Amino acid sequence: MEIIKVIALSATLSLLSFAAHAQGTPAAKDAYLYFVWPQDGTVIKGAFWARFGLRNMGVTHAGDNFANAGHHHLLIDVNDPLDPKEPIPQDKSHLHFGAGQTEARIELPPGKHTLQLVLGDAKHYPFDPPVVSKKITVTIK
Amino acid sequence: MRGEIRHIHSGNDGDTPHEATPRRLAAIIAGDISGYSRLMQIDEEGTYARVKRIERDLVEPTIAEHHGRLIKTTGDGFLAIFDSPVEAVRCGIVIQQSMVGRNASLPRQHWIVYRIGVNLGDVIIEDGDIYGDGVNVAARLEGIAQPGQIYISGGIYEQVKHKLVCGYQSLGDRQVKNITDPVRVYRVLPDPSALMEGRIRPVIALLIAGTVCLLAVAGGAFWYLWIRSDSHMAGRTPAPVSAPAEVAKVTPAPVVPQAAPKTPATTATPAIKQQPSPQPIREPEMISLPGGNFAMGSNDDISEKPVHQVAIKPFSIGKHPVTIREWNACADAKACGFTAAGKEDAPVTDINWNDAKQFVTWLAQVTGKKYRLPTEAEWEYAARGGTQTKYWWGDQFQSDMVNCKNCIAAAAVEQPMKIGSLKANPFGLHDMGGGVDQWVEDCWHKNYQGAPSDGSAWVADGDCSSRVIRSGSWRNDARSARPASRDRYDAVVRYPTHGFRIALSP
Repeated sequence: MEIIKVIALSATLSLLSFAAHAQGTPAAKDAYLYFVWPQDGTVIKGAFWARFGLRNMGVTHAGDNFANAGHHHLLIDVNDPLDPKEPIPQDKSHLHFGAGQTEARIELPPGKHTLQLVLGDAKHYPFDPPVVSKKITVTIK
Repeated sequence: MRGEIRHIHSGNDGDTPHEATPRRLAAIIAGDISGYSRLMQIDEEGTYARVKRIERDLVEPTIAEHHGRLIKTTGDGFLAIFDSPVEAVRCGIVIQQSMVGRNASLPRQHWIVYRIGVNLGDVIIEDGDIYGDGVNVAARLEGIAQPGQIYISGGIYEQVKHKLVCGYQSLGDRQVKNITDPVRVYRVLPDPSALMEGRIRPVIALLIAGTVCLLAVAGGAFWYLWIRSDSHMAGRTPAPVSAPAEVAKVTPAPVVPQAAPKTPATTATPAIKQQPSPQPIREPEMISLPGGNFAMGSNDDISEKPVHQVAIKPFSIGKHPVTIREWNACADAKACGFTAAGKEDAPVTDINWNDAKQFVTWLAQVTGKKYRLPTEAEWEYAARGGTQTKYWWGDQFQSDMVNCKNCIAAAAVEQPMKIGSLKANPFGLHDMGGGVDQWVEDCWHKNYQGAPSDGSAWVADGDCSSRVIRSGSWRNDARSARPASRDRYDAVVRYPTHGFRIALSP
């Protein structure tokens, strides 16, 4: 058992260091990103606070190179696939929370909208593997 | 303080109502490091340095961001007050969550873990310190909090329960030391589902968490060290989109003394006396614009409404965004935060609003001229170049006019393109739209409801943690390249497409 643990540990170590050599910053193995609120299918009247949940990794400021920590990005009605080799885009449908915010006041026009969270590293790149939430749909009345 | 000065000047004539009891209601947050003396025993100097760094990089800015006031830091803790209980609890959550990230790369015995208590109460503010029962209760809450946790009093709970979507676990009434009445205590769970988990299978969860932590921590530490040494060697590589060959080449950034007929007598400024620049500063090329009226905004996006008339006074604006060469002159003078790598004629990128402000402050100081950031109104006035159409050349999009996503026919353009690569607008300005996003002075307002009409920077009543960016970038579509298009970004955060151009008052 001990030996297996040691082997697993060294394997993880080498994997992690190689991953750093390549493109993305390594994500924590069991990182879990999700919406605390709203939930999938929520019907909302007017503006709302979206709250971001993250387990097994920490939230930090953009620019901070702490291991196992990143900052939130909220993707609104985005259908393009995420490019792991590019920084997460910045525009009105890709909101950045580089100051370490874990919630945001969101105003959307009435109708159905999709929301998805993506965790970005110090340089706004997705982690490897990407830490993304389920894409949820909300309806604004 | 003000009262005292008046006493000196006018004598005690009694017309100043003396602030006898500077009492106020405040949300008080007390934090301290659990096991501080143990940490000091393991590594005194290292712990001290790390705690100071955490206070400087995390605690102080987070309190400021949440509109709080830091009262004091003690060896192992801090005390702050907030007008808003919601902001106080948010501040606590940010600090706790950030600490998770910071500790992740360290072995467990070196973890710095805060306990945080928040209470709502009456405080007396005196000589920069605060006193009162309210403060004591906050300190007691902190004392009973589990490491890494935030405990709040019933008073705080009542204020935040419907405003902060967190889990709150009631811990019942607790008798705290030297306080007569028991205090109702709640534990804040930033993640409500953690409440359930904590109750169901603590042993299994602990076992799993322990194993994962061991792996993650060891792996993380290794990776962190590696990244650290790597980042030290590589220096700063700002624009990850440019070819690696360019990035690796660290530019020496010579200040080219050519073509500087209007170079000022820089030595006249006292601020640079201790650092006389060997060569005169080459100022960015400026275009002076006449004043005028124009209709600002458009009906294409809710943030651009309502269209409103603005009167602009004469001013000058940079012909191009600030280049890497121009930026690095400031970096060489130690007045700007970092040296940018890349082609000297390319616009500097990865600039946050504070960086841009540092640059204009420096340039104004060494030249003695009124250099500054443009206001949002000035930027749009300049970008329109006297037109009222969707783009400066008309209402229809044309390719090869602006450097935006899918806007340039030529494939594989190196980004960001060097300055002056594309046509200038009727005012002779390049890249007012596309290229790099450009910071302006204004704080973010979600539309123009209540905007000034005199072309000044709109700072009042706005969200000044976000500042306005204009122009869109090579990574945004044509919609963002319209002169009326506007967006925002955190003033303190750098992003690889963000740059700026400067303005000059006459």
